[in-house]
Amino acid sequence: MGFVYLAALLVSLFGMVMLDRRFRLFFWRDVPRAAVTLLVGVVFFLIWDVVGIDLGIFFRGETSFMTGVLVATELPLEEVFFLTLLCYLTMNLLAGARMVAAVVLDRRGSSTAVAGDPAAARSTDGASS
Amino acid sequence: MTYWAVNAVFLAIVAVVGVLALVTAAVRGRAERASSSPGASTRRRREAVLGAGIATGVLLVMTAVFDNVMIGIGLVGYDAARISGVFVGIAPLEDFAYAVAALVLLPSVWVLLGGPKAPRAPKAATSAAAAAAAAASKEARS
Repeated sequence: MGFVYLAALLVSLFGMVMLDRRFRLFFWRDVPRAAVTLLVGVVFFLIWDVVGIDLGIFFRGETSFMTGVLVATELPLEEVFFLTLLCYLTMNLLAGARMVAAVVLDRRGSSTAVAGDPAAARSTDGASS
Repeated sequence: MTYWAVNAVFLAIVAVVGVLALVTAAVRGRAERASSSPGASTRRRREAVLGAGIATGVLLVMTAVFDNVMIGIGLVGYDAARISGVFVGIAPLEDFAYAVAALVLLPSVWVLLGGPKAPRAPKAATSAAAAAAAAASKEARS
């Protein structure tokens, strides 16, 4: 039972890598740049966590879902993977959403052409079919 | 110190990095506009704004869902005296600061690491050529 959360995080991270590879979102755009960005993010959030834990704002729950391995006081090993996932997800999401935005803007652009200029609409139809 | 007070400090750092990245992008954008069509840069900006909006919405919803699950199964606990008591389900509103910070800090670091186009000559030349080709084909279509 102790590995449930860690396993879930690793499976999710694997999904992030596959999406990254398929759509060239983060590491597949620029490996060193992505590595430094991810590292800066994870270290920044770990410091945030440690400050929060030191001040007694939040703490590790008593649960059987975690390995119990701690990397610092009250800071479970799993948190490092969680923060890595958060950072990887954020960068994948931003790049993916930008691709979606490009498609949406293209579609909007061609639909205004359809409304405004029948000739342009015909030529767009011809291009797409 | 409350959770919000800690968040304010870290969000302030994120805001500074964010502003630095915006200024850097604006300076680089000005140089680029001089060499490309004004339509292309407007389009790029629209794409960036719409993309960031979509990503923000998705990440905040995912944070709400997964934070509730994580707290629900007891992965993390909070000192009731140090949180504001505003919740999204059973997740303290303060937790969303992590998602907001990630959405600003990470792309900002990415932008700041980009550097000016000139020193990365081979790569910049290929991408510039690709962009020129794409622009040319778009122009030919319209």
